[in-house]
Amino acid sequence: MTTLWDTTGSAVVKALGAERRTHGAVASGLALTLVVVVGEGQVEEAEQAATRAAAEHPCRLILVVRRRPDAPESRLDAEVLIGGRLGPGEAVVLRMYGRLALHAESVVLPLLAPDAPVVTWWFGPPPRLIAHDPLGVLADRRVTDCSLADDPLAALRERAEDYAPGDTDLSWARATPWRALCAAAFDAGTSPARSATVTGAAGDPARELIAGWLRACLEVEVAGADSDSRGLSSIRVELEEGAVEVTAAGRSTAVLTRSGQPDRTMPLDERELGDLLAEELRRLDADETYARALAAATGSGDLSDRSGGRSHVWHDPTDSAEPDPALTTA
Amino acid sequence: MTNPLRSPGDRRLPRVPEPCALVVFGATGDLARKKLIPAVYDLANRGLLPAGFVLLGFARRDWGHGDFEQVARTAAQKGARTEFRESTWQRLSDSIKFLPGSFDDDAAFDTLAATLADLDATHGTMGNAAFYLSIPPAAFPVVLKQMQRTGMADNSECRAWRRVVVEKPFGHDLASSRELNDLVDDVFTAQDVFRIDHYLGKETVQNLMALRFANTLFEPIWNSHHVDSVQITMAEDVGIGTRAAFYEETGAARDVLQNHLLQLLALTAMEEPVGFDAESLRTEKRKVLGALKPPVDLAAHAVRGQYDQGWLAGERVQAYRAEEGVAADSRTETYAAVRLEIETRRWAGVPFYLRTGKRLPRRVTEIAVVFRKAPHLPFAKTDTEELGANQLVVRVQPDEGVTLRFGSKVPGTVMEVRDVAMDFQYGEAFTEASPEAYERLLLDVLLGDASLFPRNEEVEQSWRVIDPIEQFWAEEGEPELYRAGEWGPKGADTMLAREGRCWRRP
Repeated sequence: MTTLWDTTGSAVVKALGAERRTHGAVASGLALTLVVVVGEGQVEEAEQAATRAAAEHPCRLILVVRRRPDAPESRLDAEVLIGGRLGPGEAVVLRMYGRLALHAESVVLPLLAPDAPVVTWWFGPPPRLIAHDPLGVLADRRVTDCSLADDPLAALRERAEDYAPGDTDLSWARATPWRALCAAAFDAGTSPARSATVTGAAGDPARELIAGWLRACLEVEVAGADSDSRGLSSIRVELEEGAVEVTAAGRSTAVLTRSGQPDRTMPLDERELGDLLAEELRRLDADETYARALAAATGSGDLSDRSGGRSHVWHDPTDSAEPDPALTTA
Repeated sequence: MTNPLRSPGDRRLPRVPEPCALVVFGATGDLARKKLIPAVYDLANRGLLPAGFVLLGFARRDWGHGDFEQVARTAAQKGARTEFRESTWQRLSDSIKFLPGSFDDDAAFDTLAATLADLDATHGTMGNAAFYLSIPPAAFPVVLKQMQRTGMADNSECRAWRRVVVEKPFGHDLASSRELNDLVDDVFTAQDVFRIDHYLGKETVQNLMALRFANTLFEPIWNSHHVDSVQITMAEDVGIGTRAAFYEETGAARDVLQNHLLQLLALTAMEEPVGFDAESLRTEKRKVLGALKPPVDLAAHAVRGQYDQGWLAGERVQAYRAEEGVAADSRTETYAAVRLEIETRRWAGVPFYLRTGKRLPRRVTEIAVVFRKAPHLPFAKTDTEELGANQLVVRVQPDEGVTLRFGSKVPGTVMEVRDVAMDFQYGEAFTEASPEAYERLLLDVLLGDASLFPRNEEVEQSWRVIDPIEQFWAEEGEPELYRAGEWGPKGADTMLAREGRCWRRP
């Protein structure tokens, strides 16, 4: 491990090169670079999740902590680790003070693994506009988490307005096990659906996304119902004949009920943050199903014809009446 | 009817088979305990089994469901790749059933047929079933005839799909494999027969197709203009263990060469399939196996060996003939190497060297494509003395990956060119833990995807190549002895040396 205080971007690049040589990782394969935008308080949690995901997808991990954009002096502190506490791959933790925090890309760009895809993950409230954050503009895939916003449903609507192919949200990854069970229930062949109800915690973006997904696929009315569970509690689809229901039952199981068939207990794992992130890294192409679900959940028009690229929109949180939460997390 | 909730673009949702039962004949055997049951558990743990699923064991034991569940539980705990979780097992254990019976017992098969029908009502299997024949080949005819008699193999009669999985050996020569194929195809429809060659379930073998057909870099040089020779090796460091009875009858050529090595050869040498569906893939493999020419000069191009006593990995090991259950004058080969040619425009004149053996220094399977040397080197002769031929090596196991070997200048003031290796390690670029071969193949059977299973014509074509070699060996003397712990008999080295080549040390 190399720790650099009050340093420059080029010194970090050099330190990374030196660490690689001492660890004999000169020609090791890297599938991608994962950039994590995180506040100082969540660094440890983000490190754990990213390490777990990196164990499945060897990557160069770059954690960017933006500290006090209003600090009078710009400063960069860095840690370079290879094969250390941040898993088998390479990791760089960057702490940026002062105005440098608004120009984080100047340090990050030379550290990206050559010609490998870049994924940026905001571990905190999602940006109101991804174009505000240069670290989002340079990424091939952008992972937000609406459930961390002050108003998750408003954040979800912002994601739909701002959507470009390559955006995804961890709420969508949280919905995957539920969607898998729902799809499995329909595998046996059913009569056409009439309506559906998704029950879960009020304001849970995953609930809205599942409802959107069902609306888009089944072309029926989907209602939401509140429950006092922490996440989702059930999905029920009324059919022309009978009904199909998936209900959470205790820890890591769900019961699949179909009229005319015996109830089945199925696995429904509670997944850790790292597993959700790993799922996001598994495919790096645009997720069309997410786009359809997001459009249906927020009542936006067709999102699939949005163009891919973004250009940076200058945004200074220190003199803005409404600072973008992603740039002020620290 | 298609499922409205599934779409090809939605790649987060796992591929889950339709509701079905998996019936394992010989459920108390080694294969079932070491591979099949752990694979079923792993699939369940990864959420890849359908809602209506039953694992039904069938064997000649006086057992109840509970006894089998206990055995299965121990097997899963020992053999599973993923973490053993009590909750997963609890769910799975409701779906584990056992039926006692011997293969000639009509009543037991009637019960089995009735049980399969009942399982739809109790477990929602929709009548679908896959039968896994984890039994000695000698028992195949009896079991298949029983299935035919009870009608449980008939898709239309059951109004559901019925599939069968057959393990190698698929016969012991061309005639016997034809007989077996006729029998199986008579009972099941040809598309419902899955012949398992577990090598094809390995991630790296499938990657061979990605390497060849998804890149522009390799296909243009994948022919006799650029390729000097191809070496395919499957080495094992273990002996025959407790399989003496089986091995004495079989030998290395029938056990490994006929199936695994020829399948690897087919995937290496085949033309580009028009699509990646089962039909196109098997057609291309069938074509290249059909173009294989058995060696004309068998004495020079087929070498067999048998391990003698020696030292391996720091331990003393006994000779093959001293193993328990092996005849003191056994002529069974534990090592086989052959030189084959493919009579196509792409491969004419390129020798394919295949070798397999037991008690070799280490366990390794790899495909090495050796390229021709540069026709002219503008360097002084001394500069390139240590430069060998370029090689592309696909490591099937262990350390799954690809190595490219090429010449590079040694740093310094003189021009000296030496071989270097560029390495791609599977585990470095993607560590999404590769599923076990059986896990993958079992899932494919339940999904009905036959791409990774050889078709009967492929099996027959393989025997066509192996039969003359076996006949020649049967008439001619004894296998050459090699010391346990060395890379095979001298004869194998001579076979390549005669043509100015040498085996790669894997």
